[in-house]
Amino acid sequence: MFENILLGFSTAFTATNLLYCFLGVFLGTFIGVLPGLGSLAAISMLLPLTFYLEPTTALIMLGGIYYGGEYGGSIASILLNLPGTPSAAVTCLDGNPMAKQGRAGVALFITAIASFVGGSVGIIALMAFGPAIAKVGLSFGPSDYFALMLLGLVATVTVGGQVRKGLIMVILGLLLGTVGTDVTSGDFRYTFGFLELRDGVSLVGMAMGLFGIAEVINSIKGSNERKVTEKITARSMMPTKEDMKKIIAPMARGSSIGGFLGALPGAGTVIAAFLAYAMEVRVAKDKTRFGNGAIEGVAAPESANNAAAQTAFIPTLTIGIPGSATMSIMLGALMIHGITPGPLLITDHPTIFWGLIASFWIGNVFLLVLNIPLIGMWVRVLQFPYKYIYPVVIALICIGVFSMRTSVFDVCLVVIFGALGYLLQRAGYQAAPLILGFVLGPMLEENLRRAMLMARGDVFRLIADPLTGSILALSAMMLIWAFACGLKSLLNKRKIKILPEGEA
Amino acid sequence: MNVISLRFTIATILAVIGITAFIIGLQYDFGSSQRMGPGYFPLVLSGALTVLAVWEAFSVLFNPSSDEQPSLDWRPFAAILTAVLGFAFAISFFGLIPAFIVVIGLSSLSEHKYGLKPALILAFFVSLGAWLLFAKLLGITLSLFKFGF
Repeated sequence: MFENILLGFSTAFTATNLLYCFLGVFLGTFIGVLPGLGSLAAISMLLPLTFYLEPTTALIMLGGIYYGGEYGGSIASILLNLPGTPSAAVTCLDGNPMAKQGRAGVALFITAIASFVGGSVGIIALMAFGPAIAKVGLSFGPSDYFALMLLGLVATVTVGGQVRKGLIMVILGLLLGTVGTDVTSGDFRYTFGFLELRDGVSLVGMAMGLFGIAEVINSIKGSNERKVTEKITARSMMPTKEDMKKIIAPMARGSSIGGFLGALPGAGTVIAAFLAYAMEVRVAKDKTRFGNGAIEGVAAPESANNAAAQTAFIPTLTIGIPGSATMSIMLGALMIHGITPGPLLITDHPTIFWGLIASFWIGNVFLLVLNIPLIGMWVRVLQFPYKYIYPVVIALICIGVFSMRTSVFDVCLVVIFGALGYLLQRAGYQAAPLILGFVLGPMLEENLRRAMLMARGDVFRLIADPLTGSILALSAMMLIWAFACGLKSLLNKRKIKILPEGEA
Repeated sequence: MNVISLRFTIATILAVIGITAFIIGLQYDFGSSQRMGPGYFPLVLSGALTVLAVWEAFSVLFNPSSDEQPSLDWRPFAAILTAVLGFAFAISFFGLIPAFIVVIGLSSLSEHKYGLKPALILAFFVSLGAWLLFAKLLGITLSLFKFGF
């Protein structure tokens, strides 16, 4: 165990890796700060950059982009009350009132500290449980994998609130995942004669369209009226002693809730942030403070969503089943670099696994030391006229997608998915389940085919297996329960009407 | 375009995608449930998609309770998509720098009062940045200017 951690730090502590980790955190925060763009957009926009790097370095950079994007999103949501990610929406509830009271600096500082604490707790959980879960994963058969992936997809659907729309998105994603060469038979499916489609729909093109282009179109209207008036200096960020005392317990509670929930497939950071907030409201003596700038209402959800973000790597890396849209893009990135995540990752590529974990922690430290001195700069990015920013973002998306395979076809895919993403979003659909379905689709199909072959085509033999059967039963129960009552009423009670696009 | 018709249109589009995928999927070998062919999974999925999308469409028709009023911003929608399309066209015929100018110019159309001057300044700086980054720093062999194929 100890030597593994040492191996991890020796991998991460090379000059190149540190540089790219820093670069990732920096660029990620930059994109995350831009209104409407969250960590998912940051990852998909910068993914092509990492193709030129070593797999370990690339992943370290992507990890940095992810944290940076999450934190940048919190900055934008606290100052503008415009959450870039659904998990940041919870932070908005008390973060924005704090900003209006002139305590934006403190809110941002608490966000940074709480993220760091939550992240660290999550990383410890990842180190402690990752290898053990991978060992369990080794004994999984195709039917277990199929059931687990199905559970992940069902969980994502039920979390989203609108079950029918979520299901439609997941199935559309799965269907898009079947485009290309069928692994088992080698037949081409839905390629319409395009050579480019034989490898399947490009994940980057799709993600850029759904999250990049669609979000930019969404954010243009009214961008001129957005103004950040708060002046934030390093001194105004310093919380009082009383503040610090107040947030210790919420951070501890938030981190444990987040750490536990993040490891479950599909539950993800939103539910973690949400439950942590609800928990604080329940524990508090004076409940009226919440929604009016309660500092616990910032600390708890932020530590929860960061702890969840870390433990979300457990199913992604050790079993190969991503729990959220962001994780599925990370998984896609791993596969592009020729690494198949799964139970064998830890034993076959120990430098990648432990190096990644070490760099997660380094990334969190960077985030803390980078953002306190640089906060003035991020605020200035927010104050910069948006009309000079979005054309550049569009240009970067274009060149990013084009340079990946020097393919004009992929750029056209961005147009199609951009249009689709914007229309779907406007009609009340979420794109996150679509991406998750798309990435899991081919794996789901392959495992189902193998499982059915082993069960000789008898569904009851699949269900009779204790593990597979119970996971499938759990998924079915979740789906039925969600259809019956739904989380919608719960969400409405908490004043969050529409969850913004992004990670679910 | 009001909300109900937007939601209905989207549901219809999704249903059409489902039906089309189903019809195309019929050409693939279905196999049996023991040995699933390449057509098995797509057929099940597109069938399910069609059913759900039709259900959604009907529920929109008979249950037009819309508390939020989302609308489409046609101008940025058209401008940004045309910009990306313009990039695809320009980069395949004229090279990188013209492609950047096209994408900046077209996306600046998404606002009513953008102004020619800001767009020109922005296009200049982005092209300069692209030239520095791609030609000088990374040395990527994308032709900056060209004509024809």
